[in-house]
Amino acid sequence: MRHALVFENVWKSYPRWTQDGARTSRAILTRRLPEILRHREARWALQDVTVRVGHGRMMGIIGANGAGKSTMLRLASGLGQTTRGTIVVPDGTASVLSLGDTLDLELSGRENAYTAALISGMSTAQARRTLKSVIEFAELEEFADAPMRTYSDGMKLRLAFGVVAQLNPPALILDEVIAVGDARFQAKCMERIDELRAGGTTVLFASHNLDEIERSCDEAIWLQRGKLRASGEAAEVVEAYRDGMRLDTLAVTPLGGEEDDVEDGALRLGDNRFGSQELTIDEVVLTTANGVLADRVTSGQPLEVEMTIRSHRGPTPAVVTIGVTRLEDQVMCFEASSEELASELTVDEGGVTLRVAFDPIDLTTGEYAVDVGVYEPGWAYGYDYHWNAHRFAVDDDRGVKGVYVAPRRWAPVRPAGASAPR
Amino acid sequence: MDFAITRTLGARLGLRQPQLILHLVRRELTSAHRFTMLGWAWPLARQLAQLGVLVFVFSSVLDLGIPDFPVYVFSGLVAWSWFSSGLTEASTSLIDQRHLVFQPRLPTAVLPIVAVAVPFVDVLMAAPVLLLMLILSGELHLTALLFPFVLAVQFVLMCGVAWLVAPGSVYVRDLPNIVTLALMVLFYLTPVFYSLHKIPQQFEWLLQLNPMTTLLELDRALLLGLPYPGVWHIVGTVALAAVLAVAGWFGFARMRPGLVDQL
Repeated sequence: MRHALVFENVWKSYPRWTQDGARTSRAILTRRLPEILRHREARWALQDVTVRVGHGRMMGIIGANGAGKSTMLRLASGLGQTTRGTIVVPDGTASVLSLGDTLDLELSGRENAYTAALISGMSTAQARRTLKSVIEFAELEEFADAPMRTYSDGMKLRLAFGVVAQLNPPALILDEVIAVGDARFQAKCMERIDELRAGGTTVLFASHNLDEIERSCDEAIWLQRGKLRASGEAAEVVEAYRDGMRLDTLAVTPLGGEEDDVEDGALRLGDNRFGSQELTIDEVVLTTANGVLADRVTSGQPLEVEMTIRSHRGPTPAVVTIGVTRLEDQVMCFEASSEELASELTVDEGGVTLRVAFDPIDLTTGEYAVDVGVYEPGWAYGYDYHWNAHRFAVDDDRGVKGVYVAPRRWAPVRPAGASAPR
Repeated sequence: MDFAITRTLGARLGLRQPQLILHLVRRELTSAHRFTMLGWAWPLARQLAQLGVLVFVFSSVLDLGIPDFPVYVFSGLVAWSWFSSGLTEASTSLIDQRHLVFQPRLPTAVLPIVAVAVPFVDVLMAAPVLLLMLILSGELHLTALLFPFVLAVQFVLMCGVAWLVAPGSVYVRDLPNIVTLALMVLFYLTPVFYSLHKIPQQFEWLLQLNPMTTLLELDRALLLGLPYPGVWHIVGTVALAAVLAVAGWFGFARMRPGLVDQL
């Protein structure tokens, strides 16, 4: 067979849950139960999805939250049944859909690793043999006998992935759980995944991290509300997805009203503020090190940005970006997102305040703006984005050209005019 | 070291499931007792306390006219508590362990069995206490060696019910409540504290419908030399256990594929 992993016209619906049981009891009392059963609606999580992954290839899945990524991974793992269509997965496929939720907090790391190995399909003999390698891969030798409740989240994750690293499955289904944790261990995981792929393992990988998909996947698909919106080379699909996000953000931006002008001062919707406004970035304050409001900083000095984000529709997961743009030529000096934080961000009505400290801010003389944005966690569209609204100037009296003042040391190796070493 | 996870020796011999059950039971018990000061002595302490109360109440406070009453009640309680707590735990075993149901390579059918097996440890802890009491009351019969077989029948019976109730609870969330309620009613319809022969004749059939009645009667016949239940009651109960186990097995297999969507 040419393909290792095949989804053929897969449809999947979930039953729609009624709000509470009280409704059902009332229905029984009023003898309307048959009617309720007949009207049970379905929600389509996947609609006519066809995907084929060749042997040893890595396929990325991108899409907004609720686009059907998890459903695809679950089905590929053999959890649940398709409503229509067929799925072909090699025998012995391993899945990493969640890391660490089977861990028992009272037991030691070693005991938990053993349980995880059994649960992932090993026999007791295999689990016993691999235990050492698991602990080694997770770099937890010192803590192996400490109870799990003393572990940090990162350590739990390492332990859980350590078990996965010992498997050598024909296909691997990966949710983005491995995207959390420290960068070095993440690199180690990706390295292990590359090793497996070299050995012929086919990988299906869902992630919000577009850069990661672009970097490690051969191909990618873009799911939107359960439908396949694009598929092809990873880089192309990610590019299309990013373009889509920009357009969608523009499309959901409400028309600017006068009220907004008054309230937000310099911020005008559709002009320098975009997004659906379901979540808003309310205050953005730039300060120097000692908390003084800053519109001018000296290069090499710290700059802190504090922003408060509020939700207007209940607790909402979100991802926040912060970037710095030079005004004169719109050069993006850098941009980073809250994806680099270990934990996910959820914003509620009470608001979340984030502080990002740049210490130091190594920019050349000029006018800059801090661009902040808050997005749907799958980068489907923006909730709020402030473009060139929060400005500051950098003074640098050292006359460095370009954008970045690189930390540097000049050391004369040989005094000018001196002859060759004697 | 790499392992392809299919076709291991254990899997071919069908040993993976029992290994998993044993490990999960051990894990649950270790986790519960690790950081307590008495540790594994706790289940034993529970049984001793139970016994102490029984001896005090039924030899000094109440007299129901049943010989060796503390042993009589103790043997009944041991079997009943296992039945009751095992099925209560089993009914929520999937709902409460959603994360395990979502492990693609863990056979879900193992989870209700683990729930049934964990309280069996209390039975094991009670066994030496029971033995000591039998010696003290001079009621040690050779038939006591058959006691494990009755426990085995009870285990099969419980597995069958557990396999039906655990996935059923996922679809109908009222089921754990129904199980708790049914067990409460059933407790009074089981001769744990009283004797079947002391109740009015016209209600005896009601108690005889309860498989636990026959099992408890049988326990006491073997341990205390009391009269045996009718042979048809024994055959009926064993047959019921077997039928329930088979029905449970197929019922579980039928309900399993949809579990993930409902949890």
